[in-house]
Amino acid sequence: MLIELKDVNKTYNNGQPLHVLKGINLSIDSGEFVSIMGASGSGKSTLLNILGILDNYDTGEYYIDGRLIKGLSERQAADYRNRMIGFIFQSFNLIGFKTAVENVELPLFYQGVSRSKRHALAMQYLDKLGLADWAGHYPNEMSGGQKQRVAIARALITQPKILLADEPTGALDSKTSEEVMQLLGQLNREDKVTIIVVTHESGVANCTNKIVHIKDGIIGQIEDNREHSASAFGINTTMK
Amino acid sequence: MKDLFVEIWESVRRNKMRTILSGFAVSWGIFMLIVLLGAGNGLMNSFLQGGSGFATNSVSVGGGWTSKPYDGLKAGRRIRLDDGDVAVTGGDLFAENVDQVSATVGTNATVNYGKKSINGYIDGVYPAAQEMEKRVLLAGRFINDKDIADSRKVVVIPESTAWSLLENGQDAKTLVGKHIKVGDLAFQVVGITKADRMRNSRDLYAPYTTVKTVYGMGQEVGSISFTTKGLDTEKANEEFEKQYKSVINLRHRAAPDDDRAIWVWNRAHQDVEMKQGRNILSTALWIIGLFTLLGGIVGVSNIMLITVKERTHEFGIRKAIGASPWEITKLIISESVTITAVFGYIGMFLGMVSCMILDKTVGQAKMSIMDDEIAMLVNPGVGLDVAIEATLVLIIAGTLAGFFPARKAARVRPIEALRAE
Repeated sequence: MLIELKDVNKTYNNGQPLHVLKGINLSIDSGEFVSIMGASGSGKSTLLNILGILDNYDTGEYYIDGRLIKGLSERQAADYRNRMIGFIFQSFNLIGFKTAVENVELPLFYQGVSRSKRHALAMQYLDKLGLADWAGHYPNEMSGGQKQRVAIARALITQPKILLADEPTGALDSKTSEEVMQLLGQLNREDKVTIIVVTHESGVANCTNKIVHIKDGIIGQIEDNREHSASAFGINTTMK
Repeated sequence: MKDLFVEIWESVRRNKMRTILSGFAVSWGIFMLIVLLGAGNGLMNSFLQGGSGFATNSVSVGGGWTSKPYDGLKAGRRIRLDDGDVAVTGGDLFAENVDQVSATVGTNATVNYGKKSINGYIDGVYPAAQEMEKRVLLAGRFINDKDIADSRKVVVIPESTAWSLLENGQDAKTLVGKHIKVGDLAFQVVGITKADRMRNSRDLYAPYTTVKTVYGMGQEVGSISFTTKGLDTEKANEEFEKQYKSVINLRHRAAPDDDRAIWVWNRAHQDVEMKQGRNILSTALWIIGLFTLLGGIVGVSNIMLITVKERTHEFGIRKAIGASPWEITKLIISESVTITAVFGYIGMFLGMVSCMILDKTVGQAKMSIMDDEIAMLVNPGVGLDVAIEATLVLIIAGTLAGFFPARKAARVRPIEALRAE
């Protein structure tokens, strides 16, 4: 198993203690395309943050590729995030004063890859996502879909073990959302990238092969969705 | 390295006004530091130039009173130097450390010229006195060896003495070649020296031998002066003085360790004091300058804090994609050091230009103290050493200014930073 969570608990202690994750057990294999679905307040974002080593958990165990992720120093956590995890955010989170290609290069910069090498690699990924012509543009010169594709290129450039997408279509219109989800599906099929999508939209979840329902900090039903029939709108429909 | 500078440049470019304003404070601090130190140096140089009435390696010796009983004689005895002491001083015993020897013998005398009469003091000197006491000749010549050998009745008088003998407005130099009356005897004026604010205006210099013979002083010597050589340290000077005193004391049957039997005035000590004074002044100026700079450092630190706050979200992104806390710290500190260094150097450059302007303006102005003209500032400015020290100060200041904001930035957890807007 690529990802294993064993009885993971998380409580926020901001004034009133808030038990957000109440014993999460989850296994995700390499090459899976999974969505974690739940309403707001269900704990899905907290789960994603723990999966992405952006946040820590109180009790339980979390393994990536057999490696226990617990009690890491900030430096170590940064290194693991850099090498094992690619992030795609709802609000893209590109750095505004850097061009598309510079944004894509950034993870390699923190790996200490030389300037020319990372530039070449970044161009390669931008090209793969059909953005080679936009390499020199700044994020505010691009459409939402283009920005998200730049973010995907940035997430992929380190060849991470897991691609974590937090509401990747949350800020996009329906057409672009569909394109992005298809792109993720394609990456999963063709490049065998393990993808975990967190969403509250059933249409988005329907694009994935497995849907993990989370409610009140507990994992409920785990749905096999290889038929893509989970959507209320029928087979192969995505949207909202 | 290049990436780091690109990052810094981007950040500075986005906040031009803010960067310039805080940078100005740093420029101002360094500017003040350089100008203060430069002017301080100029002032010190002016003191050194104006106040050096004597060669710094000259020693004066005079007779005193014994303070210890010795060899059957009781304390409180008057010691008078004599020709034997002069011979010993210039002899083989001290040949290693004594260069030129001069002795003086003097007495009060009424000096007349025309209708003017003053109560003067005639000083019998050797030619070496000119160099030792740094007498600057304005006209004529100083006492020479032939004057000594022939006991000529000639005098050299300082400008200030000449003025007291002349009518108002008359040029002191006109006295050269004239005869003046000292006591009952006529002396020819052969030279005029520059006025000295450290002496009073009633001195006249005559050949040593002349004064001795004319005033019948026998073996007695007023004071002995000599220049030293090879005494580079304070310690060497003290050793020499101790040895010299014991030798002269024994000639007069005084205890070798009696400090009061003769007095020895070594200008080397004065030189050391001068250097100490210079150090104190320069330390004081550094402190003032550094406190001025402190304002600039606080300014830069403040700006960096705002920058960190504004960029929290960006740092969150960087951390999410793998930036370690150190990477963030490095970014902030190097930005701070760069701003401090660049603006510091602008300030340093302007400070040095100002020192040059000071040199060309105030430096040329003379002030008159007791008939002596001295420049207000001599060669104001700072050396390479100060420039290097100031560079170090800037780097330390920049690091300090960036340290706390950087620590704040590095400590924010990525999850919180990503939420920030």
